[in-house]
Amino acid sequence: MTTILETQDLGYYYGDGTVALENVNVKLEEGRKVALVGPNGAGKSTLMLMFNGILQPKAGSVLFRGQPLNYDASSLRSIRRAVGMVFQNSDDQLFAPTVYQDVAFGPANLGYSAEKVKRYVTYALAYVGLSGYERRPPHHLSGGEKKRVAIAGILAMEPEVMILDEPTSNLDPATSEEIMEMLEELNLGGKTLIISTHDVDLAYRWADEVILMKDGGVLRRGSGPEVFGDSELIKEARLKLPIVVDLYQELAGRGLVDGPKPPRNILELCDTLEQGCKGRAPSSSTAEPIEPGKIYICNVDELEAPQIIAILEKIQPSCKGAMGTSAKVMAEGAGIALDFTYGVIDKCILKALIGKSSLIMTSGGMVDHAQNRIRDYCRESGAVIEAVRLSDGAN
Amino acid sequence: MHDLLDDYAQSNALRDTNTRLKLALGLGAIIFCVSSVSPVAPIFVAVSMGLITIMIAKIPARFYSKLLLIPISFAFFSTVVVAFMHGTGNPLFSVDVFGFDLAIREDGANLALLLISRTIGGMCSLFFIALTTPMIEIFSVLKTLHIPDSVIELSMMIYRYIFVFLDQAAMIHSAQVMRLGDSGLKNSLNAFAMLSSVLFLRSWEQGERLIVAMDARCYSGKLDLTNQAAKAEPRAILAAAAYLAAIAAIAVLTRNIQML
Repeated sequence: MTTILETQDLGYYYGDGTVALENVNVKLEEGRKVALVGPNGAGKSTLMLMFNGILQPKAGSVLFRGQPLNYDASSLRSIRRAVGMVFQNSDDQLFAPTVYQDVAFGPANLGYSAEKVKRYVTYALAYVGLSGYERRPPHHLSGGEKKRVAIAGILAMEPEVMILDEPTSNLDPATSEEIMEMLEELNLGGKTLIISTHDVDLAYRWADEVILMKDGGVLRRGSGPEVFGDSELIKEARLKLPIVVDLYQELAGRGLVDGPKPPRNILELCDTLEQGCKGRAPSSSTAEPIEPGKIYICNVDELEAPQIIAILEKIQPSCKGAMGTSAKVMAEGAGIALDFTYGVIDKCILKALIGKSSLIMTSGGMVDHAQNRIRDYCRESGAVIEAVRLSDGAN
Repeated sequence: MHDLLDDYAQSNALRDTNTRLKLALGLGAIIFCVSSVSPVAPIFVAVSMGLITIMIAKIPARFYSKLLLIPISFAFFSTVVVAFMHGTGNPLFSVDVFGFDLAIREDGANLALLLISRTIGGMCSLFFIALTTPMIEIFSVLKTLHIPDSVIELSMMIYRYIFVFLDQAAMIHSAQVMRLGDSGLKNSLNAFAMLSSVLFLRSWEQGERLIVAMDARCYSGKLDLTNQAAKAEPRAILAAAAYLAAIAAIAVLTRNIQML
């Protein structure tokens, strides 16, 4: 893994001497999902504003791909193109009077031709699922749509790293999950993502790496379970435990489960719990073992809506999920009622374990991602779930 | 969501008609209205523009009539004054106020009638433009008319942020009303002063955030202004031309007609 962003003894002080950041040393690797967590005033936003040169450090330095940032106009242009930032409040970011103009702002200022700008804008809007919104003014959009436009505006500049300050604040839970899933999709496409959040459940589940901050410094860096497994540390940082970890610790306290590391998600928690119960009460396992359901995966790039509807009628899955924007747009267009629109793979595995079959609609690289995820799960847990990849002509 | 002109401009049935055509129709009607010497042509414009706005552009009649009430009430009071103050000829109505002879004479009445019909005709044409054409489309027409880019870009930003501050002002106002900031004249005045000063400070901060947001996306002086408007259909052009010709004909034919 190559280091893409790095800070060395970074410090920032406001005019009145208030310390915002002090001695921050972090290394962020390419292609990772990083979450900055910490209480209000921990310096998360300040740190983020330094990653693309909006704030200039008062001490230490920021390095992009090993090169310290320069703060002259042309260097700033290149760093801001490579490291895009989505602000917390979309109204701060969406300043142009129509969606098209806002998304076109970055590409136009990079000096692209009108035709190229149009191509980039069309691509970015399609990516976030807002094709056809080009002429709408931002004040006619919902909070979730504004966030999508803000993300499209950054995406149109093709950044290598995307920084999102509190991407889910002020959004309803389903919209938040969909935004986070879109970020997951971007990450699968190779983008390095950095978010800041107060939502510990989200950081725990989503991030490859968690950076816990407090009072302008870094308290701990590590994977979700490493950082959130330490309840004293979490208390010190004025956060709370993710519900999965909290539940796990209480269950472990009663001796129902044991293991070195807390589970990552509901799926792992269920498995840990089941193992614990089976070991304890063998009588329950005398019941007939459940035959696991199948998971069908279909690629919406290869199949037309009528074909998918025909497949649905043939296999009659008990639940249907869509992963990624293009699959969701297609399902909506074809009138397919979706049971899952986020956390789809885990949900389908959970359903398969209780004997129900399901269909995942997705596209591009996420087809492989879904298959790998199911295979990895089977290998780790010993369960046998058949993942069937549907393509044109099959079945 | 507020009930704003802008909302209708975005969602009416004539939204996608060519902007230049709509502007030409509205502005043409205004010019004929103010240059007509008899009230017949302006009344025709007022009625037809009203019908076009309600029937073709599908603006709710209730909203439209409420909107029209504002200029009509202004026009009414000012023309009443004109009617009393102006002209010679036979008195149509007179009243004796403490020895003064206050009378509406023929000339004054005709002038007042002409004034009010011109005002309403003009307003109906203006509302036709305002209710069918989003601001942004007007900006792109201005761009093709070679108005300087900086003027247009500035106006676009101002237009965009009007709505942000409108929301903020509404929120501050609600926060004040919730804590009884509107009880009594003194309180309301105080609350209004606070609202204004807070809004000023917020707009200042917003401006600073705007600069950061623009810089973060490599601002180098460009705001894309692609004209995405549809081409005018020949049928629509013909209809608009016929309509304007009809107004002109009515204005010319009725130039000698006096209502009273």
